[in-house]
Amino acid sequence: MHGWDITLHIQQISKEVLRVEEGSLYPALHRMEQEGWISSEWGVSENKRRARYYRLTPAGRKQLAAEENNWRNVTKAVARVLAFAGGKA
Amino acid sequence: MGWIRKARALFRREALSAELEEELRFHVAMREELNMVEGMPPALARADAQQRLGNATLLKEKMREADLFTFAESVARDLRFAARMLAKHPGFTFLAVLALSAGIGINTAVFTAYKAFLLRPLDGAHPEELFNIYHSRPDQAYDPIVSYADYEGLRDNDRSFSGILAVTGDELTMTDAGAAPDAAPSLGSSVLSALGFRLPTTMSGAAEPVTAALVSDNFFSVLGVAAIRGRVFTARDAAELMERPQLLISENYWERRFGHDKSILGRTVKLNSRAFVIAGVTPRDFMGTFTTQVPDFWMPLRLEPLVHRNSDLLTNREKPCCTVIGRLAPGVTPARAQAETEALANRLLSLHAPGTEGSRPLTIQVAPGSPFQRPQQDPKLKLIVAVTLGAVGLVLLIACANVAGMQLARSAARQREIGVRLSIGASRARVVRQLLTESALLGMTAGSLALILSFWTLRILVVEAAAAMPIEWGTFALHIHPDGAVFAYVFGISLLASVLFGLAPALESSRPDLVSALKEEGMRFRLPVGNRGLRNTLMAVQVGICLFLMVMASLLIRSSSRTLDLRTGYEGRQVLQVNLSFPATLNYPPAKQTAEVNLIRRKLMALPGVTGVTLGRSPDGGGLRTAKILPAGRVIFYTFVLPNYFETLDIPLVAGHVFSVGGSDRLLVSQSAAKRLWPGEDPVGRTVTLDVSDQFHVEGELTPASHPYVVAGVVGDTRGVLLDGSDSDKIYLPLLDSQFAEQPILVRTHDDPRRLFHAIGGKLHAIDPNLIAGAMTLDDALRNTPSFVIARCSGLFATVIGLLGLLLASAGIYGSVSYAVVRRTREVGIRVALGATRHDILRQMVSETARPVTVGLLVGLVAAAIAARLVRAILGGLSGLDPISFGGVSLFLLAIAMLAAFLPARRALRIEPMAALRCE
Repeated sequence: MHGWDITLHIQQISKEVLRVEEGSLYPALHRMEQEGWISSEWGVSENKRRARYYRLTPAGRKQLAAEENNWRNVTKAVARVLAFAGGKA
Repeated sequence: MGWIRKARALFRREALSAELEEELRFHVAMREELNMVEGMPPALARADAQQRLGNATLLKEKMREADLFTFAESVARDLRFAARMLAKHPGFTFLAVLALSAGIGINTAVFTAYKAFLLRPLDGAHPEELFNIYHSRPDQAYDPIVSYADYEGLRDNDRSFSGILAVTGDELTMTDAGAAPDAAPSLGSSVLSALGFRLPTTMSGAAEPVTAALVSDNFFSVLGVAAIRGRVFTARDAAELMERPQLLISENYWERRFGHDKSILGRTVKLNSRAFVIAGVTPRDFMGTFTTQVPDFWMPLRLEPLVHRNSDLLTNREKPCCTVIGRLAPGVTPARAQAETEALANRLLSLHAPGTEGSRPLTIQVAPGSPFQRPQQDPKLKLIVAVTLGAVGLVLLIACANVAGMQLARSAARQREIGVRLSIGASRARVVRQLLTESALLGMTAGSLALILSFWTLRILVVEAAAAMPIEWGTFALHIHPDGAVFAYVFGISLLASVLFGLAPALESSRPDLVSALKEEGMRFRLPVGNRGLRNTLMAVQVGICLFLMVMASLLIRSSSRTLDLRTGYEGRQVLQVNLSFPATLNYPPAKQTAEVNLIRRKLMALPGVTGVTLGRSPDGGGLRTAKILPAGRVIFYTFVLPNYFETLDIPLVAGHVFSVGGSDRLLVSQSAAKRLWPGEDPVGRTVTLDVSDQFHVEGELTPASHPYVVAGVVGDTRGVLLDGSDSDKIYLPLLDSQFAEQPILVRTHDDPRRLFHAIGGKLHAIDPNLIAGAMTLDDALRNTPSFVIARCSGLFATVIGLLGLLLASAGIYGSVSYAVVRRTREVGIRVALGATRHDILRQMVSETARPVTVGLLVGLVAAAIAARLVRAILGGLSGLDPISFGGVSLFLLAIAMLAAFLPARRALRIEPMAALRCE
């Protein structure tokens, strides 16, 4: 998937709630690549233009799982705090 | 893994930059397309796409940071910036580089000299494989000398070494070598004489002394050194060497004595009247196993009997002769070699005659090869090295404190620049890094300058000193090479210095205080409290180190000037000492030698200006021997003199009378000897016997008669060269006619003694052209004694260090004190306006300066007192708490600091208060 696809994809599946500031995606991608979580290669897009394609690596998949887990814990905790606050009110 | 990619990316920076560009362009193009599909007009579609992307330049910058190492780039940027800043302030840069290169330079010089002199390996290929082999016995830790027979035993049987060589030095007489090229007066000789070294004037005829290294046949093959012309001899040449005696000449002597004469190979020279053919020339400055001297000739040891008739050096197992050095065989450890050699040496013990020195049990030591047998074990040498390195280290510290002071003063002026950088988002670490880069650039510039300066200075000194030494002294050489270790050392101390003088000011000036920094006014009005604390510390440190250094320097200078004091108790300036030697080749019988000396004495007496001629050794100690005086049992120096010795040298007769010519049972004692032998009693008329049986003597030398002597009189003390003064206790024995030949001739003149040199030379040549003679005044001879040379060198060193330290420190102290006061001009204005009296303000300014200075002085005094105790060994009798050194230096530094506070404070007071307030 190239950067543009990722932008559109995030917008679509988040139903336009999460709008990435389009440019800031790229430094993030490059940093993730340096960490070895994703790999990249140049390819040709559907409309015959050169584009950079990114793919999740096994290390990235592991990292993703860990981060997801972490995120769930955080949201769960936040939810509990909110539930507590709601119950009080 | 990331960093590999990052590093690799450095090599394709251009391509990477294009890729980043393309990636972003693709995104914008896609967005633009989408916008157009959604119905935007083309221009708006493009602008919207750009806007949604954000700041493209910043994005690219961030992606670059992720993709490659930008550290090196930022360092380069910092360096460029630092260079610009330094170039913008040439005055500061010049002074800082000057101070630092003085500090670094003196360190580099000392380190280079130390390395060239003491850490030098043996002269040969792969010196790390070469090892010194020496004996050690329970009562004598170190005995480097092995007999030739034992050496052969080791050489032929020791398998742990691939080769073992033996070497010893010798002095020979060369005859019929033809005329020598004229020596041009060199810069070096004037430098040496300015330092107080006096070179003897030689008046030689056809014979001239030469130095030779007697070496085993395999010497050059073990060292792995080839001749630059002709060839070296090897172990295979033994038979040929015996048949046709040959030797090698050093390139240095070839140049100095034969002027690089191309026909040198195959030429015959006569050494001790035996003919040798010169077979080759060894490389310039090649000294093999010697420390600082290049021998004139290299002669096979097996030819030694040719030059010393009746010598049993090669066959007598009890006669130690040689230093032994081996090249370790491949794969053998020094420990194994030591074990094997020791086993072998113990087998050799049984070959020694029972009861001899050589038959006593021993162990063998195998130590890394060095021309110094064991520099690392000599405690006094170690102390001197430590003191020297410590002293120059302190000079560097003072230089650093000095530059730190300048940096600090400058940082106040740079506050605005730094404030701006901090406020637009630079982190403090980043600013400190930038300031340190500037310091490092300064340090490195100074370091490279220092390296070049010190290297060439040393080089020129060594070459010139070598050229200035008289040819009879052999050739002096020291290998001064700036090698990896020296570079690393200079680099290291430059960097260390940069951090030392740069870190504190950098931390201080990057302390974030944005608001006041940006407001030009505020900054200067606010009292920079923290800054002042740092400055006070710096001042105290500078004063302390400087005091320490100068006290030590002045202790050294005072102790050497005590040694150099020429109040000796005898006339030294007007008396020439003429040393005669009868070349061994002449083989004169003693009667002929005596007759010739008597003839010379008569002829010299007849020279114009000469008022006295006598025989005897100079009182400066050369060749003095000791004897046990019975019945008192004390050991005292004695010497043989003619009766007119005292009159010629102006040594006063205190009591009794001088012994008469030819008398053999009378002697004279010096005052202090009389005091020691018979405290409080009259020595004249007493009878003593001199027992020399267990005192050191050379074979065949003149010793006191065994019959009792009567004390005829007492003469004044003369000063010798021993630091404890024990050589002022002296006994004078009458010299007999048959003993003339061995004593120097002393000639007293009322003229300029230098003018006499030529006349004496002419007379000697007329009497016997084969004589070798050298002459110098007694004062000059005294100046050349080791204790004088050491005292002069250490005095010189201390003076240089002390002056350099003083210069740097007083400039530094004055600079930082007066700057601190100047910065308070405005404060002074306000206080005067508020009604403070001049007296109040002066007092406050001076006392505020006095505090850190006093702290520094106290710390420095305590440190110096402790250090003085540690180096007592090299102070030579001077009390470690010498009041002149301690008090004088303290007062001097205090005065500088007070002056530095007082002068600007007074200037500040002269300014009209209103002008002071307005001026900033």
